[in-house]
Amino acid sequence: MKILDTKGLLCPQPLIMLKEAMLGLNKGEKIKVETDNETSLKNLLSYLKDQGVEPEVSNSGAVFTLLAIKPEKDLTASDPAIYCTTDISTDYVVSIKGERMGDGDPELGRVLMETFVNNLKLQEQLPSHVVLYNSGVKLAMKQSPVCSSLTELEELGTRIMLCGTCIDHYGLQYDIAVGMISNMVVITETLASAGNILSP
Amino acid sequence: MDKKFDLLSTIEYGGCSAKLPAGLLSQVLSKLPVASDPRLLVDVDTHDDAGVYKINEETALIFTTDFFPPICSDGYEFGEIAAANSLSDVYAMGGKPLMALNLMMFSQEKIPLEVFSEILKGGFDKVSEAGALIVGGHTINDHPPKYGLAVVGTVHPDQLITNAGALPNEILVLTKALGTGALVSGEKNGLSSSDDYRRALKQMKHLNKNGAAVAVKYGVRCMTDMTGFGLAGHALKMAEASKVSFRIRSPHLPLLPGAYQVYEKGSIPGATFRNQEFTGEQVHYTRGVDYNLKMLLHDAQTSGGLLMSVNPDHVSALIEELNRVDPELSATVIGEVIPESPRRLYIE
Repeated sequence: MKILDTKGLLCPQPLIMLKEAMLGLNKGEKIKVETDNETSLKNLLSYLKDQGVEPEVSNSGAVFTLLAIKPEKDLTASDPAIYCTTDISTDYVVSIKGERMGDGDPELGRVLMETFVNNLKLQEQLPSHVVLYNSGVKLAMKQSPVCSSLTELEELGTRIMLCGTCIDHYGLQYDIAVGMISNMVVITETLASAGNILSP
Repeated sequence: MDKKFDLLSTIEYGGCSAKLPAGLLSQVLSKLPVASDPRLLVDVDTHDDAGVYKINEETALIFTTDFFPPICSDGYEFGEIAAANSLSDVYAMGGKPLMALNLMMFSQEKIPLEVFSEILKGGFDKVSEAGALIVGGHTINDHPPKYGLAVVGTVHPDQLITNAGALPNEILVLTKALGTGALVSGEKNGLSSSDDYRRALKQMKHLNKNGAAVAVKYGVRCMTDMTGFGLAGHALKMAEASKVSFRIRSPHLPLLPGAYQVYEKGSIPGATFRNQEFTGEQVHYTRGVDYNLKMLLHDAQTSGGLLMSVNPDHVSALIEELNRVDPELSATVIGEVIPESPRRLYIE
């Protein structure tokens, strides 16, 4: 386990040291950081949380000790251009064009759609975007049974896009619970640049 | 004295931006009574850059102030930057600065008096460049030093630009690159090259005068300038005041050379974290938004650029003209205005 003593150092020095030390660690390896500066502790925690690390924190007197494990995913990403390139082979967009899945019995269609959206967040590979249009926008409203699932997906970094014209058409402006209101220009662009499109 | 006095040595090592956290400030301001008068065209309500008072049908008065501790070593440059930063609020409202007062906190026991006069000279020259007049000021004994201006300017009431007029489908244009906070932090921690740091200083001295004139020419109705709350903080206030949401494309953000590398090395000022805490849940990041870009969105800017919401039909002409009048800056489209959605900012 690597130990970093940052006692007596002010922000951003402890973070500089932590970022450097993390680069030298193997994935899964542990690191212990000591600091006596509360602002630095807060900033270190904010940084680690952003990297998907949930450190343990303890304190004795004025000294805080932070215990973290280097995550499996790559922390470096020093080139933003590389970072932003999407991997076409695994990237996908979910396009939902109605509040029901398939034709036939409307009640069945509603249940199927609910199950589908609830299952989306359980996928190992999450969609980059979920595009909702026509009566599909109703799924993102406060009263929708899948509203919480869509919110969870959004928390995980999936962009939920709602067709603005559709929201206006159904008069739902004041019921939106989740998602970014968008227009057909952006929706078309998103669908056109998607690696794969999943349309239930 | 054999060595030139270093103003940066007066402030705490690694010192972060001097601005109070935005959340804390709102908390305090919300408890104060709000001045209300039909002649007040802009009050504190929308967290705009300045107060605006309508004198008659032709003229409204813009009134603003700003000051802060040193962000560079040289007194003259500090004066120039602080003045450009104070004047910027008038430009952000679409106005012309007329007069300014010096606000100075300075301790002659701790700093040679010639530094005092250098700071004032820098401020004087920048105000002259803006076509305005310094008509006095006030100094008190304090350490570390602080300097800035109180500025009055005017604008035609019909041409007033606020932070509350952005409309869905308009395009967001930023006139200066981000990262002044990063490069000042990098300088203090020995992590930025002197070329990159000099470039940041140069940009901070650059008046928003030409940028504002172009905005007025193209009928921009909504604009604000970038300062201590960072792009995300100021964009958030603008979206909130306009009752819309913004979509910002992080790979398009203009960055000062070297700023990204400073953040990559971990030299992220405390102000950035405070700004990020303030924007919090009101911002959504799509998966894959680069961590350093996310933090640079919250980098506290000194004398930053103008963020304007532009009619899509005018964007190419406006950008072209901005690049012509300010070729040393880098006006860039960074996103667009979308209808009011559950969150204020959507970053991708």
